[in-house]
Amino acid sequence: MPGRFSFIFSWELHERLLWFSNLRWVAVAGLALASFLGPFVGTPSTWPSLVMVAVLVAVYNLAFVFVLRSRLGPDQDYAELRQVAILQMVTDLVALLVTVHFTGGCASLVLPFVVFHMAIGTIMISTRIMYLLAFGTCSGAVALFTLEQIGVVAQYPTVTGRQPTVDGCVLSMAMLVGLVFGIVYLTDSVTSRFKARNIELHQTTTELQRALDEQEQLERRKSHYMRISAHQLRSPLGTIKTSIQVLLDGYLDPGSAEGRQLLQGTATRVDSLLDIVNDLLELAKMREGRSRAPWTRNVSINQILADIFDAVDPLAREADVELVPHFIHEGAAVLDWAVPPDLVYAFENLIHNAIKYSKAEGGTVTVALAIDANQATVVVADDGIGIPDKLQEDVFLEFVRAPNAKHLVAEGTGLGLSIVREAVQMHGGHVSLTSTEGVGTTVTVVLPLHHVPPEVEST
Amino acid sequence: MARPTVLVVDDDAVFVESLTAVLQTRYEVRSAGNGSEAVVAVEEEPPDLVILDVMMDHMSEGFDVARSLRADDATSLIPIIILTGIGRVYDLRMEVDESWVPADRYFEKPIAPEELLRAVAALIGPGEPVA
Repeated sequence: MPGRFSFIFSWELHERLLWFSNLRWVAVAGLALASFLGPFVGTPSTWPSLVMVAVLVAVYNLAFVFVLRSRLGPDQDYAELRQVAILQMVTDLVALLVTVHFTGGCASLVLPFVVFHMAIGTIMISTRIMYLLAFGTCSGAVALFTLEQIGVVAQYPTVTGRQPTVDGCVLSMAMLVGLVFGIVYLTDSVTSRFKARNIELHQTTTELQRALDEQEQLERRKSHYMRISAHQLRSPLGTIKTSIQVLLDGYLDPGSAEGRQLLQGTATRVDSLLDIVNDLLELAKMREGRSRAPWTRNVSINQILADIFDAVDPLAREADVELVPHFIHEGAAVLDWAVPPDLVYAFENLIHNAIKYSKAEGGTVTVALAIDANQATVVVADDGIGIPDKLQEDVFLEFVRAPNAKHLVAEGTGLGLSIVREAVQMHGGHVSLTSTEGVGTTVTVVLPLHHVPPEVEST
Repeated sequence: MARPTVLVVDDDAVFVESLTAVLQTRYEVRSAGNGSEAVVAVEEEPPDLVILDVMMDHMSEGFDVARSLRADDATSLIPIIILTGIGRVYDLRMEVDESWVPADRYFEKPIAPEELLRAVAALIGPGEPVA
């Protein structure tokens, strides 16, 4: 049975093997009873042999039960359990043929019991193996009956004391073959549907379970995100409330220089609170798949970058940072579809960061654009403070800011890079980052030129 | 007698201004903007009490400071007030269980000025107004 289902089938097979072992005690009891009753119904010569067979079956059944209970658990490898099942079948069939031999050969009343094994084996093991075993059993029986008929081995009388005739034997052999193969075929055609349904059911259950796990994980992530957001909002609120209380209680006079300074500081905390709320709204909107503007055809990244350069130029001058555009290819990178304000936000944010966290004086920020047939690559590189190694993977997560960034620039919501990533992913692209603390950071944005957003596709 | 000294450790300058305004009515106030500054400030001149924020540059920076103060014989007796902004003290206790440091008092921001003064007075006395 294929690997991923082997657990459920191993469990089932283990259960069935134990059940089959229990049934075998009934066979042992039957044999013992037959050997006990034999002398009374006129077959005195066979009873000690039947006792021997009963003892033999009891011994190997004990061995099987022992192995199943203590050595092979329900979580055993399916292949190993199947080998045990086949071994059980073969020993049973041999024991059965021996019993048949002692109870009248081809005329034995025990012969039809072969049918049980064929049916149970087909359910328990596999049709292919059971056809092989059916062939083996028939061959064994034919060989035994032939040897009995030609007198090579002894011919025992039946329970009723009769000796089988040659005609009867041929008929019995034909019936045996028909019965054995017929039963395997019939059982298979009934149970194969159940087996298929069993696999289907197991597949469905597994899929449902996986969906449920994913849902639970999503819920956990959502509540974690909510908690972090609340913490981030609570922190400036604590400061604001304390400031107000200090002023209200008269510890500082709002008119005094210190009072004014505290008010000023409190106002900046309110601003940062507003920034966080605005960024959270922005992020939530993007996550819901809503862009802040409609999708537009044929958007030039060159144009967007040129506009941003104009906008951030004063900031760069003020910070004494040289802004170096480096457009590697002639011609423009044009996206089939884009939301210009979202791309502007993303690139502006990255270039802003590069300027903000660049060297104290004389830093350089390079913005390179490369185009090939399918995608545009924008690289924003600075020679600034860099990002500590252990935070590099996390800076795209909400509210993650490196300590060195916080020291350099107090304000910042910690949401900028999350929004950048969201905006880039919305355009079918991806963003990555390499950085060395104290040396600089390089952010790479790759955007496919021919991405068609689902919103556009569906209209 | 000199006024007792309180060291306020918090990375939020505005919050430090507020606490300073309140505490300086009865105590000398010094401040530090992060854990390492706090350790330096204590070494320079041990204060009579330390008020610690928890989350500064690192998640549990305040606790690290508290632990190092408690571990050092010279500073182990300085009373510590933990004043955290990142959430309810109960949540915090759950989160930092392993590194939990017994401070003398725990408060959540915001804190009422009167309440802060009462807590400080209970630990190091009422101080005295500027002469």
